[in-house]
Amino acid sequence: MKKSLKIKDISLNGDAPITELNLDDLLPLPPPYDKIEEQPGWKRITEEQKGRIVCNLDGVVGLSLPRPETPEEEKKYVDLFVTGMQKLLSRENNWTFLQPLLLSLEYCAKCQTCSDSCPVYEASGKNDLYRPTYRSEVFRRLANKYLKPGGKLLAKLNNEEIELNWTTISRLYELAYRCTMCRRCAQACPMGVDNGLITHELRKLFSQELGWAPRELHEKGTMLQLKVGSSTGMSPKVVKDNMEFIDEDYSELTGFDVVTPWDRKDADVLLIHNAGEILSWPENPAAFTILLNAAGISWTLASDDPAYDGVNYGLFYDDVQLARIALKHAEVAKKLNVKKIVMGECGHQHKALMTIADRILLGDMNIPRESSMTFLENLVFSGKIKFDPSKNDFPVTLHDPCNIVRNLGIVEPQRRILRYLCPQFREMTPHGVDNYCCGGGSGFAVMSQNNFKDWRVAVAGRKKFKQILDAFADQPGPEVKKYLCAPCSNCKGQIRDILDYYGAPLKSGIIYGGLVELIVNAMTDLKEPFIKWEE
Amino acid sequence: MSALVLMICAYAAIVISTVVLAFRTVKIAQMPVHLRWELAPVPHEKGKSAYGGSYLEEYEWWTRDHESSIMNEVIYMAKEIFLLKGVWENNRGLWPFTFLFHNGIYLLAAAAALVFVSAIMLISSSPLSPLDLTLDLATILLIAAYLLGTAGSFGLLIKRYMDPNLKPFNSTSTYLNLVLLVLVFGSGLYAFFSTSDYSLELGYFARSLITFSPQSYISVPMGTHILIVLIFLTYLPFTYMIHFVAKYFTYHEVRWNDRPQTEKMTRKLNDLLAQPVSWSAPHVKGDGKKNWVDMATEEMKDEKKPEN
Repeated sequence: MKKSLKIKDISLNGDAPITELNLDDLLPLPPPYDKIEEQPGWKRITEEQKGRIVCNLDGVVGLSLPRPETPEEEKKYVDLFVTGMQKLLSRENNWTFLQPLLLSLEYCAKCQTCSDSCPVYEASGKNDLYRPTYRSEVFRRLANKYLKPGGKLLAKLNNEEIELNWTTISRLYELAYRCTMCRRCAQACPMGVDNGLITHELRKLFSQELGWAPRELHEKGTMLQLKVGSSTGMSPKVVKDNMEFIDEDYSELTGFDVVTPWDRKDADVLLIHNAGEILSWPENPAAFTILLNAAGISWTLASDDPAYDGVNYGLFYDDVQLARIALKHAEVAKKLNVKKIVMGECGHQHKALMTIADRILLGDMNIPRESSMTFLENLVFSGKIKFDPSKNDFPVTLHDPCNIVRNLGIVEPQRRILRYLCPQFREMTPHGVDNYCCGGGSGFAVMSQNNFKDWRVAVAGRKKFKQILDAFADQPGPEVKKYLCAPCSNCKGQIRDILDYYGAPLKSGIIYGGLVELIVNAMTDLKEPFIKWEE
Repeated sequence: MSALVLMICAYAAIVISTVVLAFRTVKIAQMPVHLRWELAPVPHEKGKSAYGGSYLEEYEWWTRDHESSIMNEVIYMAKEIFLLKGVWENNRGLWPFTFLFHNGIYLLAAAAALVFVSAIMLISSSPLSPLDLTLDLATILLIAAYLLGTAGSFGLLIKRYMDPNLKPFNSTSTYLNLVLLVLVFGSGLYAFFSTSDYSLELGYFARSLITFSPQSYISVPMGTHILIVLIFLTYLPFTYMIHFVAKYFTYHEVRWNDRPQTEKMTRKLNDLLAQPVSWSAPHVKGDGKKNWVDMATEEMKDEKKPEN
C-alpha cells in the first residue's frame, strides 16, 4: 500500500524505510510483460547489509553509505551538511549554478504541475517519495530553517517543520539518486523551476563538502579517469591495443582496411568516443572508423589521457571534477591542433563538453565542438558514400538521449538520417524533446550496487521499456527482428539491462545499437551486413 | 472612512512594494553568470523552435549566423502568461482555478491603470465623453476582475486544502496568501455592488493620490477594499508571488540562455574563476586560498574514504 508522505517524515524513524515499493503498484506493461508474478522484482536488502550500510529510504540501496560508528561522527556530517548548504548558496563556491539554484529554491509554487511529467514518479505508481518536488521541498525547508535569520521561528510559524539530523541527511543523500535529472519536470514547470537542477546541486553538496558520492561515479569514475585516463580503467596503451584488435576484427568481417588513426597533429577532427564503447560495443567505434575513412575525413583519436574517453561523470555530481576533466579534454585537442572536437555517441559527453564547459574553457581552450549527430548527417548527405536503404529494411525506432535532445536541442539530424536510411523507421510516443529518459540518466546506467540495478531497470526504466514496446506494437513477436537506435553509451547500457531483465530480445526480437552502425549497415560497398542479429 | 489615512497607507504601500521588488529584482539580475543550463524548446531558435531544435543542429554551427526570433519568445510567453499553457498541458485539474485567478489579476491591473488615466483626465478637465468611456471600460474590467479573481482564488484555496497531492506541501503562508487574495477580490466585489459610480469614486481617490489632496469621504466598503489591496501590495514583494519577475530570469537567463561565450562574458568568467574555493571534501580540499583555476588544474590524489 502506498503511504502518503509528509515532508517532515524524512527526519523521522531513522532506521526504517519511509516508503515501500510493490510490484503491484508499478505502471502496467503490455503483454507478454504484464504478469506481475513473472516479473523479476528486486532483491531484498539482507540483514548483514542492514547492519553495515544505511538502508532507510525505500528498501533500495544504491550508495552503500557506511553507518556512522558514534554520535560524534553523525554530528560531524550534519555540521558539514550545514556548511555545505552555506557554500552552495554562496557566490564564491557556487557561482557556477547560483542563479538557477536560488530561482528554483525561492519561486516554486508547489503546484505539482511537474509531478506527472516524471517517468520515475509515474512508473512507481505515483509514490510520493519520487515526486520531483519532494526532495526539493526538503532541501528548501532545511535551507530556510538553518541558514536564514530567524529561520527556526519562521519554520514553526509557517508550519514548515523539519529536523536536520543524521536520518535526514542520509535519506536525502540516497534520495538524490532517485532522479535521473532528465529535466522533464523542468519543461513542465510554468515558473521555470528546475527540480532536476536541485537534485544536481544536492549531489554536489554531498560530494564537494561531505566527500560522499557513488563509488561508480567517483572512485571508479572521475578519479580513475583523472589518474589512469578512463573510467573503464584502460590506460593509453591498453586502449590503443584494444582498438587495434577491433580494427583487425572488423577488417576481417567487412573486407575493408579498417585502420583507426591515432594522435594525428593538425587533423580536422578529433573524435572522442565514450571508452565504454570500445569495451562493450566495439562495433560502434569500428563503424565510425569505417565511415570516416570511406568519406576521406582528416580525423584522429587521441591517446593522451583522458582524451580517449569522453566520459565526464562530474556532470552528474561534482563541478570540480567536471572542470578538471573538461580542461584535460580541451588541452589534448589544443596540443593536437585539431580544427574541431566531435562528440562520440555519448549523451552526457555532449552536454558536459559542448555546453556546460563552454563557460569553463576560456581563450584558446575554447576549441569548436560538434555533435556526432550533425557531423554524421553532413557526412551521409555529402554524396561521398553510396547507401542502399533497403539493407536497413527492418523496423527501427529511435531513443532520444535527454542530454543530446532535451538539453542541447539536437533533434532532427539523427532523424533525417533514419528517415533516409531506414524505410521502416517509426517514432516513439512522445519523442524528441518530450522523450522519456531511459532510466539510466545522471550516472544510473553505471550504478549497480546492492539492489539498485533492479530498481533502475524496474522503476526508472519502466516508462522507456513501455515506450519501446509500444513503438513496435504492430509487430510484437520475436519473429520480426527490430532495432532500437540509441545513440548514447549510457542509454545503451541501461537499455541492455532493461531488455535482459525482461528477456525482451527473445520474447520480442528487439536488439539495440547506435546510429553509426545503421549508417554503415546501409553502405553499398559493404558485402556482409554490419548489424549482427544473433547478438 | 478617512481618506487621509488611506492616502498615507497608499503611499507607504507603493514605496515599500516598489523598493522591495526593485531590490529583489536587482539581486537576481546581479548574480554571477552561470554555466549553461538551457532546456529545449528554446523559442528564439528561428525555424527550429517548433520541434525544440537549436543552432547546435547546424554543421559547424560556429561558422553560421545564429538566427534568433524575439517574436517567437513573445508568443511563447503570451500563451504562458494569459492562457497558462504549461498548467493546461500538465495539470488540467488546477488549470480552471489558476486561469481565472491570473486573468482576474491582469484585469485588475488593467482596470487600475484605467482608473489612473481617468484621474489624470479629471485633473486636466478632460471633455466628458472620453472620461465616460474610460470609466465605463474600467467598470467592465473591474467587475470582470472581481468575478474571475474571486472564483479563481477561492477555488485555489479549496483545491489546495482538499487535494492530497497539494496538501503535504502547503504551509501557513500558502493559505495566508490565498485568503488575502480572496479578500482582495471579494472585498472589491462587495464594494462594487455597494457603491454607485464605483469607477468614478476610485478615479477621485486616484486623483487625490496624484494631487496630494485628500477627498473628504470614502465609503466604508470601498475604503475597506482599498485597504486590503494596499496590505496585499505591501506583503506581495516579500513572498514567492513575485514569480512574475523571477519567471523572466528562469526563462530568459536559464532555460533559454544558450549564448555561446563572448568576450565580455570571458572577462566575467576570468574574475569568477579567480575566486577562492572552500569546499572541504578530500578531493577538493578548498582552503579558501586556492581558486577555481588552481582547483581545476591541479593533479590530485584521491583520499576519499572508501565506501563498502
